[in-house]
Amino acid sequence: MQTDATFSDDGAPGRYGPQRLSVELANICNLHCSYCFRSEENLYNSRAEFFPVELLRRVIGEARDVANVTKINFTGGEPTLHPDFAATLETVAGAGMTSSFVTNGWHFERVWPAIVANRHSISHVAFSLDGITRETHDRWRGNGSFDRLVRAFSRCYMSDLPFALKVTVRRDLMDQLEQIAMFAARLGAAALNFVHVMPTSTAVADESSLSLDEQRIVEEEVAILARIFKMSIGVDVGYYNIDEENAPCSPLAGTSMNVDYRGRLSLCCNLSGFRGADEEADVVADLNVEPFASAFAKLKELASLQLQNRKAALAALRAQGVKPDLFTGSPCLFCLQSFGKVPWRSAPEPELVSIRGRRQ
Amino acid sequence: MGQTALRITRTDKIMNSNNLIPGKHVVVTDFDGGEGILVDLNTKKYFQLNETAMVVWKGLEQGKNVGQIADDIVARYEVALDNATRSVERILDNFQNYKLLTAK
Ligand SMILES: C[S@@+](CC[C@H](N)C(=O)[O-])C[C@H]1O[C@@H](n2cnc3c(N)ncnc32)[C@H](O)[C@@H]1O
Ligand code: SF4
Ligand code: SF4
Repeated sequence: MQTDATFSDDGAPGRYGPQRLSVELANICNLHCSYCFRSEENLYNSRAEFFPVELLRRVIGEARDVANVTKINFTGGEPTLHPDFAATLETVAGAGMTSSFVTNGWHFERVWPAIVANRHSISHVAFSLDGITRETHDRWRGNGSFDRLVRAFSRCYMSDLPFALKVTVRRDLMDQLEQIAMFAARLGAAALNFVHVMPTSTAVADESSLSLDEQRIVEEEVAILARIFKMSIGVDVGYYNIDEENAPCSPLAGTSMNVDYRGRLSLCCNLSGFRGADEEADVVADLNVEPFASAFAKLKELASLQLQNRKAALAALRAQGVKPDLFTGSPCLFCLQSFGKVPWRSAPEPELVSIRGRRQ
Repeated sequence: MGQTALRITRTDKIMNSNNLIPGKHVVVTDFDGGEGILVDLNTKKYFQLNETAMVVWKGLEQGKNVGQIADDIVARYEVALDNATRSVERILDNFQNYKLLTAK
């Protein structure tokens, strides 16, 4: 079984991975994970919208020519709900690129023939896991989710299609990391990526998000597991990181970007369509009407601005001898704050919000 | 991680499937061509089933006994009833050894 250390969507400093694009294939979803950061309006209330295959063909071709993009990661909503999922995989293969996708696994059996047909161009599949038993996983993802996920693992395992597990570390999972790693390893996962919860409300923050101390305990435990297990194990960006020199993640390093289900280029899939947000300053251009080249130039400008903004905030606190709090020290929480995604939080320090209010 | 092919092994144990059904802790996946995979959620082990073993598993899911499952095999493949019965018994024995079945 092949393993690939680049399965994580984000790179640790210094290793940002290949140039890549995440593409939201659908706004809608068939599940209702209460902690989900995608807007409920998009997931459940607005009409279903799917990424047009023609637009995909043009965008990835231009992204390859302009930004050397070689990998496309499909996300959503739930990407497998795209009515022509096979055509999206074929389009990536036809452009000579590799694809991957992150999924809840519910419709895996239905899309399996499309996967088999495009197997040569699919690097891996990432499955979201919320618990290692029917009871714990289905509590978040609904009855029947766990069994479908296990069937999806079986298909991948038997077909030598590498798969990764993505686990959002809520507070109730904190003391189960070793069992999760054992579960992933025994079922043949090639990688296990833990992700810190990006809070969408006070309720989610209180119930599920970890405090800085809890995050540190989790990260230490993950580091130990990474030494013990053969599969690649890590924490995706979002962990506390006050390095002022290096970009904390691939979007801010300019090596990855996101296209939302409407075809708009934005900084990062974590921020896109964020639940409860009142701003969209992370969106730089509508690729339906704008070529990728000029959109990409705007994106690089935005990424660089955000990076400077972050460095300035960290430097200012350092000068004052103040230890950055979690919302400043965690790059993703810093982004949420500075891009106006968490209006339910009390107002941050003025120097942290210079991008706020910028609209395309 | 580990995958076990449920090969048929010799055994003297006489099986009676009347009281046996697939365990709730086992998740089955059908593959094209009649083969399948079981995942034991207790041990987190994969078991690869050939076509015959899949017929037996499906029969157990439907509450069939050894004779009825052997009839299914005879109807599907060119095999004599006594050979089919022996195969079913050996496969059941294997399922039981790996604790994949529970009493009804
Ligand atoms: C938005 S989902 C889209 C793909 C698919 N529906 C799924 O669940 O895998 C992409 C990833 O974001 C994760 N995610 C959702 N809400 C999150 C949050 N508040 N914080 C961190 N990760 C989150 C999901 O668990 C999933 O792994
Ligand atoms: S995390 Fe994925 S499966 Fe769950 S509600 Fe969000 S988009 Fe749907
Ligand atoms: S939210 Fe910000 S820090 Fe986090 S991955 Fe995206 S761009 Fe990077």
